[in-house]
Amino acid sequence: MAKKARIAFYTLCKAMPLPPESAPALHAGDLAPNGVLPDGSHLLELRGRPVILAFAPEEWNPTHAHQSELFARLSREFGHGAAFVDTATDEWHSLDCRGELAAQFGVTGQRALFLLDEHGVVRWKTVVESGQDLRSGQVLAALEALQPAASGGARAGAGALSRRTFVTATLAAAALLLLPGCSPDSSTKNGKDAAPEAPVGSNDLLAVTLSINGKPHRLQIDARVALLDALRENLHLTGTKKGCDHGQCGACTVHLDGQSILSCLTLAVMVQGQEITTIEGLATGPALHPVQAAFLKHDAFQCGYCTPGQIMAATALLRDQPTRLGSAVEIREAMSGNLCRCAAYPNIIAAIQEVQRG
Amino acid sequence: MHPFQYQRPTSPAPAVATVAKNPGATFIAGGTSHLDLMKEGVYRPTLLVDVSGLPLKQIVDFEGGVRIGAGVSNTAAAYYPAIQQRYPAVSEALLAGASVQIRNMASMAGNPLQRTRCPYFRDLTQVCNKRTPGSGCAALGGYNHVHALFGASAACVATHPSDLAVALAALDARVQTTGPRGPRTIAFPELHRLPGDTPHLDTVLEHGELITAIDLPAFDGRSHYLKVRERASYAFALVSCAVALEMDGPRIRRARVALGGVAHKPWRVGPAEALLAGQPPSEKLFRAAAAAAFAAAKPLAHNAYKIPMGRNLMVRALLETSGLQPLQGPAGTAFAASVGGMAGRLATPR
Repeated sequence: MAKKARIAFYTLCKAMPLPPESAPALHAGDLAPNGVLPDGSHLLELRGRPVILAFAPEEWNPTHAHQSELFARLSREFGHGAAFVDTATDEWHSLDCRGELAAQFGVTGQRALFLLDEHGVVRWKTVVESGQDLRSGQVLAALEALQPAASGGARAGAGALSRRTFVTATLAAAALLLLPGCSPDSSTKNGKDAAPEAPVGSNDLLAVTLSINGKPHRLQIDARVALLDALRENLHLTGTKKGCDHGQCGACTVHLDGQSILSCLTLAVMVQGQEITTIEGLATGPALHPVQAAFLKHDAFQCGYCTPGQIMAATALLRDQPTRLGSAVEIREAMSGNLCRCAAYPNIIAAIQEVQRG
Repeated sequence: MHPFQYQRPTSPAPAVATVAKNPGATFIAGGTSHLDLMKEGVYRPTLLVDVSGLPLKQIVDFEGGVRIGAGVSNTAAAYYPAIQQRYPAVSEALLAGASVQIRNMASMAGNPLQRTRCPYFRDLTQVCNKRTPGSGCAALGGYNHVHALFGASAACVATHPSDLAVALAALDARVQTTGPRGPRTIAFPELHRLPGDTPHLDTVLEHGELITAIDLPAFDGRSHYLKVRERASYAFALVSCAVALEMDGPRIRRARVALGGVAHKPWRVGPAEALLAGQPPSEKLFRAAAAAAFAAAKPLAHNAYKIPMGRNLMVRALLETSGLQPLQGPAGTAFAASVGGMAGRLATPR
């Protein structure tokens, strides 16, 4: 039988009882156990092709649009050769990660991703413990080590994966990132055996406490994580937008101790002890901040992508620098760091002026 | 971004010691330029020493002038009353630069230490002696419209992007540092280097030497900063000019003029300053001074436009500083510093 570069993508452990104990954690280089898959087949039967195992928490909702999109991409990439076991209806299932296979892999109650090669050997794994998050950059850095050489050169023989397997692994990792974190009570004492492995190319994670919208948030993050990415990827505060990621557009504007700053050019680790306010922290209960209300009233946006940054910049200016904001010309100058590709500028200025007049 | 270790000392001495003994270490304060370059892969420090927590955030009166702590934000310095009133060129340069957000983040020491905006410096697919010594200069035969007229070398034709640095050069600010060999004072015009054959070195600072303060010396004249850019706000200068004039009755006692956007450092124009000294201000005099200032300009393929633009800008800056022409906006604001765009659209009190 010709060996095709086929991938099996599993989501596992549907509604199984909590096993009595979990096996020790598996590491790269270990031979994977021959567990039973949800369709009743054994992992051993899949030898000869790479396998990605994604252990997912039950909260994963496949109806979320961005997850559907990812599934569509996976299907497009591997529509003909892939064996989507347990996805016969082309749907992702909401599955518990407390099954027997999760225990055999030592990752009970955790989000985890394993990449097995055609010999059944664990080539890469990553585990996200309760309360932690994984950054796409870390995953991609780890996967880089497995990236195939561009033209099948020396690296291909030195442990690199085929291009197709690599692409699948990348997409699967992206799928994992979209899953919500395990709730704290889903983390068992057995689950703690499996410490997250440091992704290739990363240094140690730092314990960072950020005060955001009046609440402390403890994170384990790489020193390279920008405040913007910590907000969006670690804390799921996605109101703050990533535009250029280089300080040129203002979409990522947040307040630091009441002043507007660019979260994309701020390392999260550098702003501990300072009060961070995001667009999520502006409204008081159901009542919109006056600037938010004015933006609505004046139709101060079209696509809306720059709007959180515009509003954060405007609120900081109105609160701290009223004497520096007079005419429309002055507002334009003070707001010049916030670009709007839809060019809603006249309405943005009208909204700010209305709040200014009180 | 490459991995790095991170430290946050609470006083200057350990910060200096840590960086000095670690060749891959660098200071970080506001991070607006540094983090950008790290994301691009241009900077690859192995250790970041965060100096934003150091107690260097005070502005105090000092020997008749003002001492600005290295960690003071660009915003705080720009709106500090003694600076805005007595050294409007400094506030104008600050407020005509970057955006509100970046000014809130950027430190006073970090601003003059920002790297060039030469596009080839940031493009890892291009050669650049400043980024990789010995690799060559892509700008020399490339699209060099934002590049240098003065003091360039065969190795580098980049310009320095800081507006603030131009104002500080005209005012003969002094830079206080502490380094592995102890504290020292550097005259601002001596802080930055010309590229020569070592364009990877922007300044005379040693590895591990930390700026602790910038001193504005006592000054009872008029100062002003004027800037031309490709859009009305939030853009680097194509050409800029800072002027510090001290009068003796109807005559100019001393004139100091620095040009921005034309060299690897703020470009003081000594011959022009000499022409102005002792003369009563007039447009004719200023035109002669501007001609002298640009007499030695060596344009590249795409930047000769900067010569007439720079001459006219310098004349206008001198006219506005001396009061022969009104400022385009209130002194000490971005509106006074702007040419075109929103300039002239606010009433000026002068």
